[in-house]
Amino acid sequence: MILGDFGTSYCKFLDTDQAEAKPTIVATKELSPDLKIDLATGHNGKRFANQYVNELIALARGGEALIKEKNFLLLDCGSRDIKFVQYADGKLKDMGWNAECGASMGFTIELLEKYYDLDFTTLNVPATTFSVTCGVLGMSHIFDAVISGVPVAEAVSRFVKGIAINAYRFANSPKKIYLSGGLCDNPLFVASLPCEVVPLGRFVLLEGLQLTLAMNQGS
Amino acid sequence: MDNNQYTSRATANWRQMLDKKRRVGIVGIPPLSVISFLHQSSIAIDDLDAMLIKADLEMVTTYLPRVYCAILRTVVLNAIHLKLDAVIIDVGPGKCDAAFHVATILEESLDIPVIRTENRDNHAFGTPIAQGRLPLQEKLLRITEGVKSPQAAPNPPEPFPASAGFWGVPPRDFSILELFPDTTHVYGWSRCMENKTPADADLEAYFNPEIPTVFFAQSFCAKTALARYLASRHPHGLYLDVDVHTGNSARAKIEAFLELSGGGQ
Repeated sequence: MILGDFGTSYCKFLDTDQAEAKPTIVATKELSPDLKIDLATGHNGKRFANQYVNELIALARGGEALIKEKNFLLLDCGSRDIKFVQYADGKLKDMGWNAECGASMGFTIELLEKYYDLDFTTLNVPATTFSVTCGVLGMSHIFDAVISGVPVAEAVSRFVKGIAINAYRFANSPKKIYLSGGLCDNPLFVASLPCEVVPLGRFVLLEGLQLTLAMNQGS
Repeated sequence: MDNNQYTSRATANWRQMLDKKRRVGIVGIPPLSVISFLHQSSIAIDDLDAMLIKADLEMVTTYLPRVYCAILRTVVLNAIHLKLDAVIIDVGPGKCDAAFHVATILEESLDIPVIRTENRDNHAFGTPIAQGRLPLQEKLLRITEGVKSPQAAPNPPEPFPASAGFWGVPPRDFSILELFPDTTHVYGWSRCMENKTPADADLEAYFNPEIPTVFFAQSFCAKTALARYLASRHPHGLYLDVDVHTGNSARAKIEAFLELSGGGQ
């Protein structure tokens, strides 16, 4: 079976029929409109699949599959939105999905990286931060700072720290975050979260789909 | 005058003001005495809290801020479009201060009488619809329809054990209710509505800690604070606020919450 996590910028796929198969990543803009897979998640996934699992369920199942603790908070930072699930005593305690005020944060970070030709592995966490509630509004902070003489790398770092803190507060300011999504690969973002962070990578939702599949086959 | 003396916001001569009226709009839950009078006088009732017309909600920005309770924006939209002879708006503890201010705006904007009431009724009619087995949409429709009647709802469903709870006011967008199983019990102000005691704060705050419950409030409504607080007290509670329409993320949250907490049975 082909499983797919259809994100705003990138789609992740896994062929469960292939032993030792590893997930593949395809830019969303390069997807064939005729693509059809077996089981999907992600806001863009319904039209490409025979069966669909909503993103929060896939995220929660992914957390159940990967995290061997009864109490945990799993935060997914994608291109377009942020969402989290929190478990206590092995049961769902809280969840959130911010598609409006958390809009386009991941997308904006990637846009800035390319536009200013930055390497996030070389940037340090700044002492100060911007108050950022969404990617689009945060951009104007960067432009204002650059105009006032702040170096571009410093301004972008403040922006990244701002959205990291915003995401942290959205997830109820936990002591420890299991992080999912493409921003796991951004060391500046990970280091800007003001708590212990365990990056799980960008295939957590695929893990959730695998567990969903196993649960469906077992029932 | 004693500073501690309670001053009523209610209109004293409402009976005279309703003389020879044929059709009135109500906002919130007017007292039973008023509803009974309307029935005895054969005056038709429109529930202005409900979506009665399809006009664009943006038309209301002349009267109310764009960022405001969607229910009260709907009230104004209905009031300016329907051919009413009077509006009866409850401004007591069973409604909200926002309705009190809307009453003033309606009074200035409409050419018909606006009657303020303060519903402090405390005779409990019971809540069989809230605790029966019916599609949640139908439950809330029957409960809201019951506001226009001085009697308890006819043909109530048999009581049924709950697998999930919906706490809150009847939402502006009823499509949110499709996501819940038929075994969902209704709590919060909706339950107070069925009981015909809208100012019963204890009943409003009551919930069942044994079943996963969605604590819903309209965005920009004062009840968001209570909904969020109660959700934090509930062992399996989800706080949710929705404005005009139910977005995909709100729908996904309910769907995921019910599935992951076992409430979708």
